[in-house]
Amino acid sequence: MNRATLVRKSLFRKKVRAILLILSIAIAFFIFGALGAFYKAFNSGVEVAAADRLVTVNKINFTVTMPLAYQARVAQVEGVRNVSHASWFGGYYQEPQNFVQTFAVDPETYLIAYDELTLPPEQREAFLTDRTCLAAGRALANQYGWSLGDRIPLLSNIWQQQDGSSAWDFTICAIFDADDDAVPTNYAIFHYDYFNETLAFNRDQLGWLIVSTTDPALNAEVSQAIDALFANSPAETETTTEAAFTQAFLEQIGNIGLILTSVIGAAFATILMIVGTTMVLAVDERTKEIAVMKTLGFTAPSIFAMTLGEVFLLSLLGGLIGLGLAWTLVSLAAESLAGFIPGLGISLDIALIALALMVGLALLTGLLPAMRAMNVQISTALGKL
Amino acid sequence: MFRQSLAVTLINLKSIPQRPGMSIATIISVALVVGVLLGFSAMANGFRATVQGTGSQDVAIFLRSGAQAELNSGLSRDEVRLIEEAPGLARDSGGEAIASAELYVIVDGTKRSSGTDANIPLRGVGEDAALLRQNFELVEGRMFAPGSNDLVVGRSVQREFSGFEMGEEIRLGNNNWQIVGVFSTGGTVFDSEIWADLGVIQNLYNRGSGVQTVRARLENPDAIERVRAYAENEPRLNLDVQAEQAYYASQAGATSDLIMYLGWPLSIAMAIGAFAGAWNTLYSSVDRRTREIATLRAIGFSGFPAFVGTMAEALMLSAIGGLVGAAAVYLLFNGVSASTLGGSFTQIVFSFAVTPSAIIAGIVMALVIGFLGGLVPAIRAARVPILAVHAD
Repeated sequence: MNRATLVRKSLFRKKVRAILLILSIAIAFFIFGALGAFYKAFNSGVEVAAADRLVTVNKINFTVTMPLAYQARVAQVEGVRNVSHASWFGGYYQEPQNFVQTFAVDPETYLIAYDELTLPPEQREAFLTDRTCLAAGRALANQYGWSLGDRIPLLSNIWQQQDGSSAWDFTICAIFDADDDAVPTNYAIFHYDYFNETLAFNRDQLGWLIVSTTDPALNAEVSQAIDALFANSPAETETTTEAAFTQAFLEQIGNIGLILTSVIGAAFATILMIVGTTMVLAVDERTKEIAVMKTLGFTAPSIFAMTLGEVFLLSLLGGLIGLGLAWTLVSLAAESLAGFIPGLGISLDIALIALALMVGLALLTGLLPAMRAMNVQISTALGKL
Repeated sequence: MFRQSLAVTLINLKSIPQRPGMSIATIISVALVVGVLLGFSAMANGFRATVQGTGSQDVAIFLRSGAQAELNSGLSRDEVRLIEEAPGLARDSGGEAIASAELYVIVDGTKRSSGTDANIPLRGVGEDAALLRQNFELVEGRMFAPGSNDLVVGRSVQREFSGFEMGEEIRLGNNNWQIVGVFSTGGTVFDSEIWADLGVIQNLYNRGSGVQTVRARLENPDAIERVRAYAENEPRLNLDVQAEQAYYASQAGATSDLIMYLGWPLSIAMAIGAFAGAWNTLYSSVDRRTREIATLRAIGFSGFPAFVGTMAEALMLSAIGGLVGAAAVYLLFNGVSASTLGGSFTQIVFSFAVTPSAIIAGIVMALVIGFLGGLVPAIRAARVPILAVHAD
């Protein structure tokens, strides 16, 4: 019987107790893993934002449009490599509930701006040349079962054509992917010109500009230069980095980070107390046994190490089971939620934080019992009969 | 049997202080579970109460067909005129429909909590707008003067966003506005809006004579059918006509449901953790009292009182936990103001509401944790053999 066996045996000497402790630890890590994955996916827009990408919106609010001519004027600002623009289409497919995130874009510059989007050369060519083409993201195409060549009418809950209709006909001639799972592909893009020339109102207006700078170090300068260009005009602008823009948008939903952190905190406070008090009790119950082991020649440090080892084993077992459960759930959910929350998954950093938490939990709950075990006095422990 | 059970229960409860660590751990873990559940439901209920409390049954709201939200809608002056001629609308002494054509644009406001910009609705309204909102009152200052850059702000806007103080000037986009009044509609969605003169906003935002929605008072709630039939039969109109109350009710569902879809599974998962903790605590409680229970058996007590005593201890600990959790959430969160993105893509300010039914649900959950956690240990207590008197 070596030390490891001894640690294992003493952990499971009361099977029900050990299983219950492992269960409660597993639950806490399950909550941590699942919420961590959701939070990371929710925030992925900030992380995948390109460092050299700026967003210019109307200073009143990003839902207010700006003149189309702004694109050409911004292109002349020093330090600007590429300017594209997009407009919110407010699309839905067949029924208003079937919401489809759709943008009317300037195709060529858009694909330059978002070079993380990948599509086969012939599809790229088709998208650039065919004015009625709808380029659908992979996740969106999967959601509605669309494939290349499908003819799809999309309705808009905002815009109308001159003939009063709010349906635009498209052919799906491209389906794009992204070079990183965290980049969303749950939307579709199409030619701004096709949209603009049929509009009943608000023609020659764009939603927002996507500006790529020649060097991220120039971002602040370029932003100021752009906003200065339109100062005191009827449509003033506000330019920020893509990351800041996304972050501000997420803040509008609420302080999700604080809510999730509180829940995870509550879950961990629970197991800290449960595991901590139980381990103290478990060592107290074994006082005599420990005294006997000391009598047999086990040194105080080795008693300390074995008790702490027991808590580590407990923490790792529970933690890994919980993380495994979270991974299973998230993997199952990832596919069905791809349209809403792209890039859902337990990433390496979540797993590493979880490991650190397991070690932290073991130290926090194990040090006190281990000290008590180490300090057991043979004479007093065996003396009281 | 009853007296035996009572006696054992008292012994159990009185001995709780001998196991302070584990008992407190159980109480706190149950309190945290109940706290998480109540926190989420206070959020969901607060949001729902605000949105569902908005709108009245006898006001019809007219949107362009398919628009779904005020922001997306658009109506021309001709359409507004046709709407005002609809049968079933309440009319004033001059025979004019009590109706309000309104523009809805989004402007940036600075959220106090995060310091970031968030969407606030700026509503361009006419004279009848206030008449069409139940419980509308000016709490401070005056209404805007027609044709001016006066702004009146909802009370909730003041609470959540900075820069909207009475008498101050505020810049929205490239226009300066003077804040001349603060209004309240009793905590409805309208309190999250700022209002100005319709004509001024049409002009500043290049909307010509177009508006986004029309609200009109109905003769009675049933008159909506006549209005709807009129709109459908008039070829120049392409509208969705809804009772205002129904319009807001349909917007409340999704967000509050989403909050509870998150809240329930999380608190149930945490409840499993707390259940394991309770079981553990009761198990050691029985363990420590094995000799005591056996002694009781030896002097003639049956197993049942031991079961009752342990169960009572479990329920007692979890009930205390539930009450502590509920009280903490009530004290910390009830009435706390928050805002989130609502149906029309603008911020809706609401207050956390800890409701009695949510508290009951929380306490029930606590007792279920206690019951399940105590069940096996209690059965074990009932089965302690008399010979265990000699246990060490």
